[in-house]
Amino acid sequence: MKIDKFDKLLGLLLASVLIALVLVLWQGSDRQAGTAKAVADRVMERELTYQARVALLQKLYGPVDELRRKGELQTALLKLDEVSRQYPGEAHGHVLQAEILHEMGVLEEALASYVAGIRLNGEYIDRKSPLSRREAISRLVTEGERDIVSRAKANPANRTLATALTNINYLKSRLAGGCE
Amino acid sequence: MNMRDRDLWMVILSGLALGTLGVMLSVWGNPANSGICVSCFIENSAGALGLHNNPRMQYLRPELIGFLLGALASAAIGREFRSHGGSAPLLRLIAGIFLIIGCAVFIGCPIKLLLRLTAGDLTAVAGVLGLVCGVWIGIKAAVNGVELGSQRAEKTGSGLLMPFLFLLMLAFLIMRPDFINFSSQGSGAEAAPWVAALAIGFLLGGLAQRSQFCITGSIRDLIMVGLRSYMPWGLGTFLASALIVSAATGRLHLGLYGQPGAHLEHLWSFLGMLLVGWLSILLGGCPFRQLVKAGEGNTDAGLVVVGMFIGGGIAQSWGIAATAAGVSMYGKAAVLAGLAFVLVVSLLFRKRGTL
Amino acid sequence: MSVCNMLHKNSASLKALTQLLITLLCTFGLSGCNFKQERKVMKIGYMICNSEQETIARFAPLTRYLSDKTGVEFVPVPVDTADFEGRFQKGEFALTHGNSLLYVILRENHGLQLLASEKRGHFGSRTAGAIIARKGGGITKLTDIRGKRMVFGPMLAPTGYLAEYDLMLRSGIDPERDLAYYAIPPGSYKHEKLIYAVLYGQFDVAAAPMLDLETMVKEGKIAADDFVILAQTPVIPYCTFGAAKETDPKLVAKIRQALMELTPETAVDVAGERIKVLKAAWVDGFEELQDSDFNPIREMAKRVNMPPYAKY
Repeated sequence: MKIDKFDKLLGLLLASVLIALVLVLWQGSDRQAGTAKAVADRVMERELTYQARVALLQKLYGPVDELRRKGELQTALLKLDEVSRQYPGEAHGHVLQAEILHEMGVLEEALASYVAGIRLNGEYIDRKSPLSRREAISRLVTEGERDIVSRAKANPANRTLATALTNINYLKSRLAGGCE
Repeated sequence: MNMRDRDLWMVILSGLALGTLGVMLSVWGNPANSGICVSCFIENSAGALGLHNNPRMQYLRPELIGFLLGALASAAIGREFRSHGGSAPLLRLIAGIFLIIGCAVFIGCPIKLLLRLTAGDLTAVAGVLGLVCGVWIGIKAAVNGVELGSQRAEKTGSGLLMPFLFLLMLAFLIMRPDFINFSSQGSGAEAAPWVAALAIGFLLGGLAQRSQFCITGSIRDLIMVGLRSYMPWGLGTFLASALIVSAATGRLHLGLYGQPGAHLEHLWSFLGMLLVGWLSILLGGCPFRQLVKAGEGNTDAGLVVVGMFIGGGIAQSWGIAATAAGVSMYGKAAVLAGLAFVLVVSLLFRKRGTL
Repeated sequence: MSVCNMLHKNSASLKALTQLLITLLCTFGLSGCNFKQERKVMKIGYMICNSEQETIARFAPLTRYLSDKTGVEFVPVPVDTADFEGRFQKGEFALTHGNSLLYVILRENHGLQLLASEKRGHFGSRTAGAIIARKGGGITKLTDIRGKRMVFGPMLAPTGYLAEYDLMLRSGIDPERDLAYYAIPPGSYKHEKLIYAVLYGQFDVAAAPMLDLETMVKEGKIAADDFVILAQTPVIPYCTFGAAKETDPKLVAKIRQALMELTPETAVDVAGERIKVLKAAWVDGFEELQDSDFNPIREMAKRVNMPPYAKY
């Protein structure tokens, strides 16, 4: 291949650009500590945002948890309604409602509430999340299977029981894991 | 069939490795039943690159990088690397988008489809039927003259672009610059150790390049020539090894319900995989094969890979990807749009009077 | 001659063509006519919750929806709870919508069939009752209500009277002997009145349906912190659709299916206005319960000596 003047010019320009790129990256690596700090800052920021959210949820829903601890479940539900008015669509409200309804023995509604909460935010089913409710959900699924599956089999045309079964199966699938 | 043929054993080895390591990657940390899932990995990698903002699905999957670079290395060693392309490039890019959409609606690529099946997930049956139907339709279309045109040799550099981009992704994976996202929760945070994942991806990419093993290609060969082709043997080995390892590691749970990353909308599983099967025949390979071909210097496959990344981004951003709760309206519309696309392509890219 | 024949033939053809055209025109014209088909008319007796006007406003869209879905012209009839059984027995209406105690009474005495139950509030098709006191009023536990003034809901209210009365008996408190006195508010909106009565100090304690407490908290009429819930009753079914036992089984199945198919978006035209059925009815949906789900109410009614098990 014959190399002419234009090829040489292009080669020169390419070499200049590559040198400039190396210099820029070199300067960037000189500020390695800064970059690493920026990365660490970003990670920290994410972590702080996350912790702040968890803390905010605990503060907002604290009165509900307090009433639950005292065993005042129905008052806790009413208090939850008040908080949910301010923050509709917040997954935590659904999850708390599920827990209270589970304690009160209202299994089908508890299942529906967990499903609503987890569909909004999958953290509640994650193993390592501080908001994880895996154990409680597993218990509910086990109880629900014992109660609802037999009733659904006895009443195959009952759509309410079919919906409850769908919710159980969804929670089972989420508990099993997968890409979500 | 010549039992002494090295090509046969190469295919069998590829199937064995894919099936075994596909399950083991899940044991070592990848999401359940997703030890290898090209579509899920692409969605995760697209999220890491900022193409969507689902915080639960952002991770530069080393396996993907390994597949392409392993294929590159194998092609280079075997002097099979050739830059070639130029066959309906833009169409292939769009097809790549729909490939991922089809996979996202099923929740898995053809490899994951079979990994799910061998883990006892009966919801994958509809997907298998869809994939086989899609391949069959693709064959019929090909027989009736549908083809995207021939490729031609290109300058060497063009075939190296995709490997270069993936090397860049590898650098991002190792250096973790702050513009690359990494999930701290959800399936994006579930991963096998990256070095092992990269090495396994490299090995599988190399084996797949050597053997030309491809899931949809195996189904195609099974339909067209039966067991005379080597590919179905690789497929069989893959299924057998995945089943044995699943059982041995306690991951075999036979049933329709409560399967990880699975929904119960069987019609859409069928249609999603039908789209994938059909497109795979049109494009000359499943999503995994596209990565391998891109590593061999096939720039058309490279564009499919780019399209897949775009598809991974929009599948998450636009709510197209299915979840355990089911398939959204957008997902259904996207699959139907994909089927319309492949039908239009079949109409327009048909050499009439060929048969 | 041939011209005459031709003319004759042509005029015959012309006549036939004209007849065909007229027939076609009539067919097309008549097809546009909207003949009002004779539809069977059936009445649905709706138990009055708060007031007659409110009951009609709530359930007219639902009634229209059922008419559209089943092809039967349903007419809503608001009925006072106290008169319900009598009017049902007379055959004034074949379909019923009332509370769960009313269902048990009609089931035991007249073989009412269960259609579907309303979903409303936290417990879906179920609800509970509570005995409440004003916070800071000095009453903090159930035993404190002895010698106090109590207000109940209507006597046939399962979670405004029956469940709480039963709860008190099981707790060793006899409402007839251990309270200073108890009353039932007059007029309409009894459930809200009893809650306000405690809030404003007219009474010390109330038997409050949880559903009304939930609704009033959601509407901001009261705060959760205003009250102390001294005791809560078991969760029991609430408002329910029923059908007389002679009702055509196919129609019963159609009605049940229509109720189960309702979604929040389902709307009908009422007096020229498009109205969402569930929203108008204050209902989240319908569920299929079984008759055995109402057994807790049967047990309560027996213990409290209330209809249909009342012994005099």
